[in-house]
Amino acid sequence: MDSIKVSKIKSILLWTLAVILGLFYLLVSLLPFVFMIMNSFKEQFEMLVKGIFELPDHLYLGNYEAVLQGNFFRYFGNSLFVLVVSLALLLFITACASYPLARFKLKICSPLYALIVACMSIPIHITLIPVFKMMMKMNLYDSIWALIGPYVAFGIPISVFILTSFMQSISREIEDAAQIDGCGRIRMFFRIILPLSKPGLSTLAIYNGVHMWNEFSFAYTLTQSVGNRTLPLAVWDFKGQYSMNTPMILAVLTLTALPMIIMFIFAQDALVKGMTAGAVKG
Amino acid sequence: MKKKTKALASLRKREMLLTGMLFLAPVLIFLAVFVIYPIIESFHISFFKWNGISAGREFIGWKNWKTLFMDGNFRRAAGNNLIIMALSILIQIPLGLAMATFLEFGKKKFKVFKVVWFIPHLMSSVAIGFLFSYALATNGGIISTISKWFGGGNVDLLGSSTLALYAVIGVICWQFSPFYMVYFLAAYTNISEEIYEAARIDGATKGKYFWHIVLPLLKPSLKSAAILSMVGALKYFDLIYVMTGGGPGSSTELMATYMYTLSFSNFNMGYGSCVASGMFLIITLMSLFTMKVLNRIGGDA
Amino acid sequence: MKAKKVLSVLLAVTLTVMLAACGSGQSQEVAPKAEGGAAGSQEEQPGEKKPAGQENASDEDKVITFWNITTGDPDKAIMNYAVDQFNQNSSSGYQTEVVAVQNDNYKEKLIIAMSSGECPDMYTSWTGGPMIEYIESGFAQPLDDLFYKSDLPNRLTEGSIAQGTYNGHIYAIPVNNVSVTGIFYNKEIFDKYNLQVPETIGQLESVCDTLLGNGITPFALANQEKWTGSQYFMYLATRYGGLDAFTSAADGTGSFEDECFIKAGETIKNWVKKGYFPEGVNSLSWNDGMAKQLFYQENAAMMLTGSGMSSVFMNDSEEFFNKLGWFPFPVAEGVDTDPTLMIGTMGDQFISFNCTGEKLEAAFECVTNYSTPEGAQFMVDKGKIPPVKGIEEKVSNPLLKTVIEYANKASNVQLYYDQYLPPAVAQVHLNTMQEVFGLTMEPAEAAKQMQKANQDYLAEK
Repeated sequence: MDSIKVSKIKSILLWTLAVILGLFYLLVSLLPFVFMIMNSFKEQFEMLVKGIFELPDHLYLGNYEAVLQGNFFRYFGNSLFVLVVSLALLLFITACASYPLARFKLKICSPLYALIVACMSIPIHITLIPVFKMMMKMNLYDSIWALIGPYVAFGIPISVFILTSFMQSISREIEDAAQIDGCGRIRMFFRIILPLSKPGLSTLAIYNGVHMWNEFSFAYTLTQSVGNRTLPLAVWDFKGQYSMNTPMILAVLTLTALPMIIMFIFAQDALVKGMTAGAVKG
Repeated sequence: MKKKTKALASLRKREMLLTGMLFLAPVLIFLAVFVIYPIIESFHISFFKWNGISAGREFIGWKNWKTLFMDGNFRRAAGNNLIIMALSILIQIPLGLAMATFLEFGKKKFKVFKVVWFIPHLMSSVAIGFLFSYALATNGGIISTISKWFGGGNVDLLGSSTLALYAVIGVICWQFSPFYMVYFLAAYTNISEEIYEAARIDGATKGKYFWHIVLPLLKPSLKSAAILSMVGALKYFDLIYVMTGGGPGSSTELMATYMYTLSFSNFNMGYGSCVASGMFLIITLMSLFTMKVLNRIGGDA
Repeated sequence: MKAKKVLSVLLAVTLTVMLAACGSGQSQEVAPKAEGGAAGSQEEQPGEKKPAGQENASDEDKVITFWNITTGDPDKAIMNYAVDQFNQNSSSGYQTEVVAVQNDNYKEKLIIAMSSGECPDMYTSWTGGPMIEYIESGFAQPLDDLFYKSDLPNRLTEGSIAQGTYNGHIYAIPVNNVSVTGIFYNKEIFDKYNLQVPETIGQLESVCDTLLGNGITPFALANQEKWTGSQYFMYLATRYGGLDAFTSAADGTGSFEDECFIKAGETIKNWVKKGYFPEGVNSLSWNDGMAKQLFYQENAAMMLTGSGMSSVFMNDSEEFFNKLGWFPFPVAEGVDTDPTLMIGTMGDQFISFNCTGEKLEAAFECVTNYSTPEGAQFMVDKGKIPPVKGIEEKVSNPLLKTVIEYANKASNVQLYYDQYLPPAVAQVHLNTMQEVFGLTMEPAEAAKQMQKANQDYLAEK
């Protein structure tokens, strides 16, 4: 009796400690974001004179007005388009590739896996010139379509790596049962493996989604006209050679981050929780 | 009878190979075009003296590679990468795992935490660099203020050649730990409810359940996380470039920033490509080796 | 099921946003086209835009591509001024299309394009080391014939033309701004403590000491970007050793271990120790506005920087700008060097051309629009000092007038070391200088490394 009581008290104490630490880290995570938003409501001179930690004099909306009157929606549309197309393509072909790597007992699998992992180590800047040349030849330079190829390709190594290890950890029982029922490999993939991989895929969607949304190097290498730029390049409009309008840039960055946060709230919850519950029961 | 099963087995093997290649083909095509071709090109350029823009370039054999071997700057940069790697693995993964475990054990109650904790990973490096260079400022920054509460003086972090690297590593960990949180949350979904129920019936506390059941089950995910963190740290570029630009002096220079400076501002594309290729070799060998070792150690799992 | 719903909602949102974006965005394609651009835009299909210009100027290819760094105003308006004039009034049949790339990424994008032989027809640079690389790689045309046929020799200042000249040929035309480095100071603070504008380095030091005694940081400097602190070194070295010391060190006949460089480093070291610069100066970021912040908060009284910053101050706060005065870097006592020498750039932005024949002529015509009386006036109104003869009569602002006065008096204006030197050597200069500011490297050691880097470079060449 006593020992249960003691362990209960211990567990409550430990939880309290965990919650306190959790709350502390909540602040650590949130504060920079809060300061980003707060300073986006200041005027440039005001921000510099008062420093970034003080509250704005009044809710100055001029930065947001200027940003939204510019090409913001154009950039936003481009970014969203590239993101949706690249992400869908990436997740699908990654899932396809991870399946044989995780499940098939083939001699060729392990060298291929090693090759794909090796591709993770490539420094991105070294690919800019070859990819630029390629897009020039394919007549894709300065169009948002040019971004899709590199975005998908550079998401592949990490995604295959994560998803393969995820698929390996999926229990084989359901699969074995299906195999006895005479289910073919391709059907097995679509009916069983793919649904069971959804938590892994949602992690990848989040990881790659954030990367593609904030991607900068390819975006400016492969596009040039204003109409084909994506959101990360929007900061350019408020940055000159000698100075930048920091509050305006923070307004742009806030507007860039918000859709991702909203997406994270919905996508993460729906995908991870909803799906796995369904999948495990089914 | 035996012959028949053998033939059937080989037929199945062939069918497996065919399906496998079909599944792998799209990924391999993308990689060949956008990753493998550029890296071959980079190795090729590493044998030339080239400013990066002129039509002609001069073949110089192994000269760049010999320089690379003797290059103190490169060694220093690689050393910095190793520090980032060690600290990334030691900080990001435990922190991410702790957050995921907290959320998993706390169930629905702490949903808000998950969203807020993830915010750092959603912010762009530009914003992070800006905000933290104010937050870490020598005069009026957070660390200096805390130090003053305890009677200390101002602390110069980003301007100190010994501390700047660690200050930026702190920010990197802040940005990337949430990714490992999401990563481990997904891994948790593969541990079924029944295991927990069974453990509880056996009288295991949550602590025991975590250390004796969850951790061994998460071993494969932990290994992958370590590799990911390792590769990410060895080719790291972003926040160092934004927050210190490799400085003070060249004290926070990384392999990637060094390569970038050589190729795109020093007009030394030949040597820059050599650094990139060397970097590629180092990272690949290290990660494949670590994978082998980890697999051997954790072979029982 | 839930997931499907989420996905369909996401898709719907995507589509609506995209439609909305396409609807509103189409009219905003490539800004500087203006009204006159209508004819031009019919000719080009969106997918076929090329940055390149080497192809022969066939009838379909009447578009001159112009890359520059003016993504933000006021520079954007200035750059577009001449282009709009050209697109509206030129009889050449060509149209110029501006592509603005932010400064931080501009050089890289230019290298990537050149590396693939896709260099734009016109592009800006800061001259110096990088320009020489562009020229030697065949991406800039000599402009002597066109230049002397035009009115430009009468309009532009000799110094600015000299800066765009390499091996006796003109390769780049100055456009934007004369920016000589000098000291902006807060007149109110100077008045409050009865300080006079210093004429010698000794006087400057006593001004600094008074300011320090009153709790004010003498210089607003943010040295994370490295080139900012380098300006102090350049001036001190010039004052101690004149310009020849530097030019001969750079071409290999002299040495960076010359006494004047070491003495300049020692002075900086001394000033850092005395607290003339803000605490943790290497951690402060110029790009994030930390030097401006100290200046605007009036916690620092002086800022050594290019006069081009005046338009930024003016833009940020007219009221603050009116508190400012300007004086040139003081001279050294007991040293016989030319006191009028200055550091800076005679044009800030220079345009080079990568096209030939008719197209080159048209592009050149486009650039002449910057230095017309109207063009120059336009820049003056934006707070700039165009590199045009007789500009002092157009400028009314007293601060800018002082700047021009000294710039005109200067026997020579030395381009910033980090732009003048070959980029690889410049890198070493910036890195070692930052360490001198951080007190982690002795000036003599910095000089030694600099000399070695330059010798290595010259030997390789």
